[in-house]
Amino acid sequence: MPVRVVEAAAPSQVSGANSGQTLPPACTLLSVGQAFSGTQNVSSLQKDEAWRVNVRIQGCDLEHGYLCGTMEALNVPMADTPVVTFWEGEIVDTKNYTFFTGKWEATPEDDIRHWTKFPSFSPLVSQVKVDGGKSLDLSNYPYIFMRWKEQYFVNVGTDCGLTIAGFYYVCFSCSDGSISGFYYDPNSSPFQKLELKSTNEGRSGFSFSSYELQ
Amino acid sequence: MPASASVSSSSSHHRASPDLLVRLGSTDPEVKLRALREVKNQIIGNRTKKLSFLKLGAVPAVAAALDAAQSELLIQSAAALGSFACGFDAGVRAVLDAGAFPNLISLLSYPDDKVVDAGARSLRMIYQSKLAPKYDFLQVENMEFLLSLLSSENEPFTGLGASIIIHSCQTDIEQNTLCHAGVLKKLINLLEGSLSQRDGSLESLATIMKDNPEAASKFVSESGRALSSVIDLTKDRYPRTRLLASMCLIVIRNTSPCHLQDIGIKTKLVYLLLELLDDPGQVGEEASFVFSSLITQKEDLQKLAFKANALDKLHNQLLNYSSHPRRFQGILLVLADLCSNLESCRSKFLSLKALKLVTNALTNDNADVRAAACICLRSVSRSIKNLSAGHFTNEVIVIPLVRLLHDPCTSVQVAALGAIGNIVVDFTTHKSTFVKCGGLKLLVQLSKSMDPTMRLKALWALKNLTFLADNTCKEGILLELTTPLLSSLICDPEASVQVQALALVRNLVDGCINSVEYAFAENDIILDAIGRQLQSASKAEIGIQGMYVLGNIASGNEFHKDAVMHQLIPQVNDGDCSFIVKFLRSNDSQLRTAAIWAIINLTFPSSPGASSRVIKLRNAGIVSQIKTMVNDPSVDVKLRVRTALGQFMAFSDGSA
Repeated sequence: MPVRVVEAAAPSQVSGANSGQTLPPACTLLSVGQAFSGTQNVSSLQKDEAWRVNVRIQGCDLEHGYLCGTMEALNVPMADTPVVTFWEGEIVDTKNYTFFTGKWEATPEDDIRHWTKFPSFSPLVSQVKVDGGKSLDLSNYPYIFMRWKEQYFVNVGTDCGLTIAGFYYVCFSCSDGSISGFYYDPNSSPFQKLELKSTNEGRSGFSFSSYELQ
Repeated sequence: MPASASVSSSSSHHRASPDLLVRLGSTDPEVKLRALREVKNQIIGNRTKKLSFLKLGAVPAVAAALDAAQSELLIQSAAALGSFACGFDAGVRAVLDAGAFPNLISLLSYPDDKVVDAGARSLRMIYQSKLAPKYDFLQVENMEFLLSLLSSENEPFTGLGASIIIHSCQTDIEQNTLCHAGVLKKLINLLEGSLSQRDGSLESLATIMKDNPEAASKFVSESGRALSSVIDLTKDRYPRTRLLASMCLIVIRNTSPCHLQDIGIKTKLVYLLLELLDDPGQVGEEASFVFSSLITQKEDLQKLAFKANALDKLHNQLLNYSSHPRRFQGILLVLADLCSNLESCRSKFLSLKALKLVTNALTNDNADVRAAACICLRSVSRSIKNLSAGHFTNEVIVIPLVRLLHDPCTSVQVAALGAIGNIVVDFTTHKSTFVKCGGLKLLVQLSKSMDPTMRLKALWALKNLTFLADNTCKEGILLELTTPLLSSLICDPEASVQVQALALVRNLVDGCINSVEYAFAENDIILDAIGRQLQSASKAEIGIQGMYVLGNIASGNEFHKDAVMHQLIPQVNDGDCSFIVKFLRSNDSQLRTAAIWAIINLTFPSSPGASSRVIKLRNAGIVSQIKTMVNDPSVDVKLRVRTALGQFMAFSDGSA
């Protein structure tokens, strides 16, 4: 069934059984070494609160739909130092991963509820409801959807009173390198919003580093 | 002195005595025959005795008997020479040095069958050694002789034929010549023969088909039962036959995957080889190498092996066989293959505490084991999750690895460089551990090596060490490396070395804005070298890394940006278009991306000189080139072009 095309940049549906190349675009702003900064809103009914957050991409393997890096939360009330966690990401490339999480206590309904918070998801929603987006070709779509799951604390012990039980639904804009995300953990405040922008660390322009594993 | 080999032993029967040498040279055929028998009986399966007789100079005396006329003397001489050569390279060398080889060949046409038999057996032993002379298949009479050996009813003859193929067939021309001469058909017939004929045939088939799709197709189409016979032999009751049959199937699969698509056979091979690893002898030893050839660079097979609990088995083998160098090497290589792609394997490897065993192997006496341990560490350290946690940068691993950079064996040095290249990526602040252990100094030394592979790997590691390094670390790297050396490496004769040197500079000038100054040290020699290389870039990768260096520099201050402009648009225009225009027109989307980023940085809106740079870029035809790229097939390029055009517009009153 063809998906409704909203605008020229909307993703096309893969025709036939042989899906071929449907990997998302390799975006230089999402490459290793790139840094982002912004906030995570952790407001609850009791009070408004936001933590400053820095993210650094450490690994990217598009073939396996894999991305990883660190996340540093700066003004965490119960911690003396910034809290750094290591996270691993699943890129929704419809080959390795679809929009349906299928784990981490997230039902397809939870998935749709979170993805629809991103305006750039709206052209995809009807097809995603059918098959999780399996038949979509996102290779020319200027947004990359991901799930980021924190794996361990880098600089504090697990007894720090903080939890990394949940995960983030993430949308990355290839145009300007901005990232928005929603934290999902059935036991935490819902829809904690993460907003990050590509940083250029005091430069007037963008700088790119690289490493290669052998 | 020959006499010194005659050790004082209480039993004259077990001594390589000079007296025996005299009797071997006797003119009395009876005495000579008895002496030959005595030598043969004493050395069978006894390496020490073989060496002892060798030192005594017995081999030329035994070989001299091949000139005799009596059949019995010929038989005993050939048998004794075969024994010297069996599994013992020094023996093979002595037999060849004694000039026995042509005489043994001539025995094959002797009128007495028993003599012929003894000659064939002896030659077969020689052909099992790498030292045997290469057999020239391209000579017509040699091929005819080989076919006659393979067609024979006589087991030693077919055995010799197989040994010759296994020993001497190396190039695809030789493989094809054997195929066209009808050797495959003969070998397929031998699959129905005796145990040794089956084994010889399987190993010969694997030799002929290795990396040769034409030969593999010919084998499969030669007869309907050829492939199924080999598959059947994977169930044979003899472990060696099962091993050779699986080796043959793996060769076919790796050469032409279309012939063995069935997932069932892949799973069977994995389980069979895991079972054969348990063999305590040579089969178990070889099984690890065959297993490695099955799973190397094949993620689907690595997954199957993981599911079959290969890691548990290999971990046990690591514990049990650390004193058997060849087997230990094989196990380390299989572990390296298993951990090369899959994070699940690396994670299991680490949970089994196998890392400690592999680290211990870095100081093994055997060079092959040390190299295999490095290769294994290289695979395991591909885990970004564990690199990020700093799990590989402790002194227990780093110190022995750095020591291996001094290893007398080049293959160990190269393997150590591979592991170090990964480990120094370390995203934490542990890079200093490596520098403190003297690793930086050694990497810089190796970057000056005459061997291009060594320079490449050393620079690769230095590049990774520079990735996200803090300023102190970067200063240390440049102090050790020196600006003149770095600029000469940018112009290295090897393109692959140039790429690594440029990528190193890219990382050096990334990060804190002060880092940009590194490119301007010592009268800008680094920057000028980059400009020259880009002007004559022979590979897209050189352009990519070079343009990222220029882009990173262009994200600095006005002075930095103008210096990049100077490289892009030289003052004296000799009529050639600038390299940046060539890069923007390249077929390589990554090169186009790198080039456009430099332009974005040069015209970054908040920088005061942006507007004058836009004018210069327009005059040089760069703006009009970028305008043609609005519908670039690469999304990344297309989006960057939009950004660049937006920036040009801001400085051109809407007329850009």
